[in-house]
Amino acid sequence: MPTSSSRYLRTAFIVGLFVILCIGGFTYKHISELSQTSKVVNDNYSLRSELEIIISNLKDAEIGHRGFLLTHDSLFLNPYEESLQKVTNNLHKLDTLIVSNGEQVEKLKVLKSDIEKRFNNFDRSFSLANDDTILTQDLLFLLHEGEIRMDRIRADITEMLDLEQRLLIHNQEVNEKKIGLTPLFFYGLLIVTLVILLLAYFKMSKDLKALKDNNIELEIFEKLTKQSEIVSNTSTWVWYIEENEFEFSDNLYRLVGEEPQSFEPTLENFYEYVHEEDINNLGQQVNMMMREEELPFTNFRVVHKDGTIRHLKAYSKMMDETEGDKKMFGVTIDATNEVENYRIIEQRNQELERTNKELSAFNYVASHDLQEPLRKIQTFMSRLETKEKDHISESGQLYIQRMKSASARMRMLIEDLLQYSRTNTSEKEYLKTNMNMLLEHAKTELLDSIEEKQATIICDDLPTMDVISFQIQQLFINLISNSLKYSKEGVPPIIEITHQEVFSKDVEEIKESLYKFHHKITFKDNGIGFEQTYAEKIFLLFNRLHGKSEYSGTGIGLAICKKIVENHKGVIMAEARPNVGASFIIYLPFLK
Amino acid sequence: MNSDYINIALADDDEDDRLFFTEAFEELKIKSKVLLFKDGIELMEYLNDFNNSLPSLLFLDLNMPKKSGLECLKDIKATKRLCDMAIAIYSTSASEEDIENTFVKGANIYIKKPNDFEKLKKVLSEVVTTNWQYHTSGLNKDNFLLRL
Repeated sequence: MPTSSSRYLRTAFIVGLFVILCIGGFTYKHISELSQTSKVVNDNYSLRSELEIIISNLKDAEIGHRGFLLTHDSLFLNPYEESLQKVTNNLHKLDTLIVSNGEQVEKLKVLKSDIEKRFNNFDRSFSLANDDTILTQDLLFLLHEGEIRMDRIRADITEMLDLEQRLLIHNQEVNEKKIGLTPLFFYGLLIVTLVILLLAYFKMSKDLKALKDNNIELEIFEKLTKQSEIVSNTSTWVWYIEENEFEFSDNLYRLVGEEPQSFEPTLENFYEYVHEEDINNLGQQVNMMMREEELPFTNFRVVHKDGTIRHLKAYSKMMDETEGDKKMFGVTIDATNEVENYRIIEQRNQELERTNKELSAFNYVASHDLQEPLRKIQTFMSRLETKEKDHISESGQLYIQRMKSASARMRMLIEDLLQYSRTNTSEKEYLKTNMNMLLEHAKTELLDSIEEKQATIICDDLPTMDVISFQIQQLFINLISNSLKYSKEGVPPIIEITHQEVFSKDVEEIKESLYKFHHKITFKDNGIGFEQTYAEKIFLLFNRLHGKSEYSGTGIGLAICKKIVENHKGVIMAEARPNVGASFIIYLPFLK
Repeated sequence: MNSDYINIALADDDEDDRLFFTEAFEELKIKSKVLLFKDGIELMEYLNDFNNSLPSLLFLDLNMPKKSGLECLKDIKATKRLCDMAIAIYSTSASEEDIENTFVKGANIYIKKPNDFEKLKKVLSEVVTTNWQYHTSGLNKDNFLLRL
């Protein structure tokens, strides 16, 4: 905005200047043309008077000549001689006056020769009338001839005068035409200049108003900045690089525990407040700033005069100043709360990590160590069953069978718990894995029960994904074995596994996800299904929908599935209808 | 020493396991002589005594007081006189970490203690009748853990 208006003003100024220069140039040209014209007119008039003088001089010469012829008195010869001289001078003058006009020069030549012939005539009549006072026949003839010559001269001069008159009129016409447009042109130019000036004036007054408004805004902004600096514990400063001078905002003084502008804003004075352990580091950073013209985020402590220690954080950047001096604008923030919060969070994190580790260690040890006595119970029971078979009554043997199935169940529980804790704690290494391969492994693992149940598994081609492979394999095993376990009696299970790539926004459950695309993998079976109301409950640890005697299960399998999917930042859901079947839908994001 | 007998040693701190072990060998009717040790220290003292004859097969529990099975394995493999002895790891757990560690340290096979006496007998007879000289050459991580 300011640059465009200043450019506009500059343009207006240049145009105005140009117009004024134009007016000056045209004026000069016209004035010089006018003076040229008046010189031509002057020349014209002197030519006319010269020509008229020639006639009068010739007449004087004739009068002298006639007087002499009548009286033979040489007194009359003097005016004649004078006239002769005068006419010669006149002709010289004419030469200089009409040098520029070819037609007139020709006419002058004719005039000159006629005048010469007239004087010849005079001379001849003088020689005839030397001592004789009587007019001879010859003399009479000469006089007659002189009269004719004189007439010729008169005619010559009249012609020249006419020509001169015509030239004069022509000149005047041309000049009038030229000069006639000049005032109009000047007037036009003036109007244009005035309009430009007016526009410039309006523009300037508008800009001035805007400037005033800006100033007011700036003032408000400055006050607000000061307020916000105080409230948010921040401060600003400027470093004028060329002069190596600093300017600190009021709040920077407050941040070091001083009154605003209470000391010279120099580095040395500021260093007084910096904690002695941090002063070296800060000094290095500042030196680097002076070289690199940028200060990265730098943390340091300051000590107030009363001994309080505050953590400050400074940042500065060179502003690209095309006009004017180079400046660096810096911000210094009181980061004490931030640092303290960070420390608290760090501490809590460590605590959390420790308790987590303890918990998983406990989980692992508990389930691991529980296996030991259980194994012994089972082994002893198998000893009883074989070695002592003959000594145990029938009901005793039934009890042993019951104990065996109870301990088998306990074993299963412990193993599942171990698996669950392993999903929690194992290292999370995501590797590009072919999911088809993982599914094949899962099927191999479950081969016995698949064959036993005569199950059919129909499967789409699955993609290659970044996963923790053993976990995903476990997920597949758990889901397939779940479907096998809850199949309808007498109906061979059919498990359909389908894959689809979905846009996260299109699916209700994952539309908040950070990832744009998800893989949707569905495991659909034709088993006993369940009421949709239990769809969420089944994923909870130790949650079972059926009695232990109907279906074996620990209530951990699906909880492990949920854990695994969550480890992969995905979502697992179930959809089911009793006696129709269940679908387990997994959404796994495209990690990257 | 009668050469008809196979010399077998077991180091296990658990009394019940030692009982199962000896009973299993009794029932297996393999001509064997079973040496029992309560912990790693006792085992190593016996093995390091030049007067004692060495067992041809050593079953080693990992989790033992004073000196663990893993430490024993390390010491045995570091001793020239003992390093050719076949060693079967005999442990309750079969964690990836334990299997990896013992395999790397040179054990010959890893047995997870079965929870059925008949299974135990089967496992032990299999291990005892294996020709370890031959088996060692084809040993890899996949067949290291004994599966039945």
